[in-house]
Amino acid sequence: MKYLLFLCFLMIFAQYSWAQDVVLLPKDETGKYTYYEVVKSTIKDDSLKMRLLSFLANNRKEIKLRTTSDGKLITANGKLIIQKSLAVISHPSGEINYQFNFETGDGKYRFWLTDFEFIPYQKDRYGNFVPSTTVGIPLEKEPKKSAADQWQDYLQQSSAYAANFAVRLKDYLINKAIPLPSPAEKKVISKTW
Amino acid sequence: MKNNIAALTFLLFGATTVAVAQEKASPLEISGSVDTYYKYDFNKSANIKTYFANDQNSVSLGMIDLALKKTTGKASFVGELSFGPRGQFQSIPDAAGGYDPVSNGFNIQNLYVNYAFTDKFTMTAGYMGTFIGYEVISPAANFNYSTSYLFGSGPFQNAGIKGTYSFSEKVSLMVGLFNEWNQYSAIRGVSSVGGQLMISPVKGWTAYINGLHGLDGYGSYSTIVDLTTAYQITEKVKIGLNAANLSAGDDEFGYSGVALYPQYAFTPAVALGLRAEYFNYKGISGGPSASVTSFTLSGNIKAGGLTFIPEVRFDNDKDFTQSFTKSDLTTLNKSAAQFSLAAVYSF
Repeated sequence: MKYLLFLCFLMIFAQYSWAQDVVLLPKDETGKYTYYEVVKSTIKDDSLKMRLLSFLANNRKEIKLRTTSDGKLITANGKLIIQKSLAVISHPSGEINYQFNFETGDGKYRFWLTDFEFIPYQKDRYGNFVPSTTVGIPLEKEPKKSAADQWQDYLQQSSAYAANFAVRLKDYLINKAIPLPSPAEKKVISKTW
Repeated sequence: MKNNIAALTFLLFGATTVAVAQEKASPLEISGSVDTYYKYDFNKSANIKTYFANDQNSVSLGMIDLALKKTTGKASFVGELSFGPRGQFQSIPDAAGGYDPVSNGFNIQNLYVNYAFTDKFTMTAGYMGTFIGYEVISPAANFNYSTSYLFGSGPFQNAGIKGTYSFSEKVSLMVGLFNEWNQYSAIRGVSSVGGQLMISPVKGWTAYINGLHGLDGYGSYSTIVDLTTAYQITEKVKIGLNAANLSAGDDEFGYSGVALYPQYAFTPAVALGLRAEYFNYKGISGGPSASVTSFTLSGNIKAGGLTFIPEVRFDNDKDFTQSFTKSDLTTLNKSAAQFSLAAVYSF
């Protein structure tokens, strides 16, 4: 019996600890949940952009480039899959789509994730979970009392994801030098005369 | 006993640790649904015979549906089992290919493996829910609880092998070879060929143009052409359409029909939807056709994983093909009306 109590205690403690560790996303001046960060950098703007595009290409299942304007702003659309539970056995219950923005400045760059929208999944005829709609529900929308816990979980998962994404992005931009395209190999023609 | 508990504890934590360590690997997904319903026909007979709310004045079972899915790298499988009237003899064949409620024990709705050769090209082989039609067997994926005449007439499952190529997010094409429709194993060989063109012209609008030719569930070589489309116009408004034409046995019989599905969501948890359907039975060997019209108004009220589906339905059978009866249970009637309340829990 005491083993069971110990097991329950550990599981509750683990979940509680996870929930406590996550810093929830703050809202910007327009009331939208936003992850915003300014990073000082010695890397040149062009190189930063190339590294960012490389990062997006390597993570194309998670985030897709939308625009690269002539200016300094690059935007992309990303998504994270929401799992029904954190237990060993789970299935996706929805996805949260967001917009990613990246801008370079003098000796620094900034990026922010915003416009978080939840799209619920439903099971299709083949047993796969797929979006049930294409119109997302903004994460800022106040949920009903019955769904408040669920909504809070979406916010926590989004917050944890954004923080993790930021770490991965910054690490990639610092460490990933993009190799320049190698010059075309010169052909040696030995039989010409 | 203590040793067992200790072992269980170790196993659970071990599994949890492995799951955390392999965060990028897909865990085994377990999902499913449970449904039950009550139906009352105003003429006190189980007049409307479309699937699945059939029992009159009875709190009856739908099914318990259990699905497993696992993805490892580019490979995945889905195995979906169902138990209960809806999930057995009403929707899947038994080992002999029939729908005998006594002997039915196969319980398999989906059993297939999938391999993604590239991001754009995948191949799937096994026993799969059909790609034809708007409505499906699982009550968790339908808005209305009772089903359309189109659903009841079309194929339910297709066993075979298919390849799907995505040209872009807006266009994909599936082509496959299949057994006879609704059969676990082929009796007369791989006898059907089918395809599906998916087009998504604008965000929220998806259209599937389907075609299937081969041995149908009635033993005839049939060709079915089917259009299934849905457009989420706004957050609250969605409209769906299903139209199909089946020509069977050298066009000696068959059916055609169209169903419209407008839906309005008052809130994310409360929605109302109508199904308006016209269905035509083609006359055998040039004989007279017969048609049925049906209007079904359903609500979807969600609370957590539970969805309540109150529903009223009016069917008109001007050619007396459905054997609707009046409340004396003997006099034939052109129309039938019923109320049903279903509860579907998805997990």
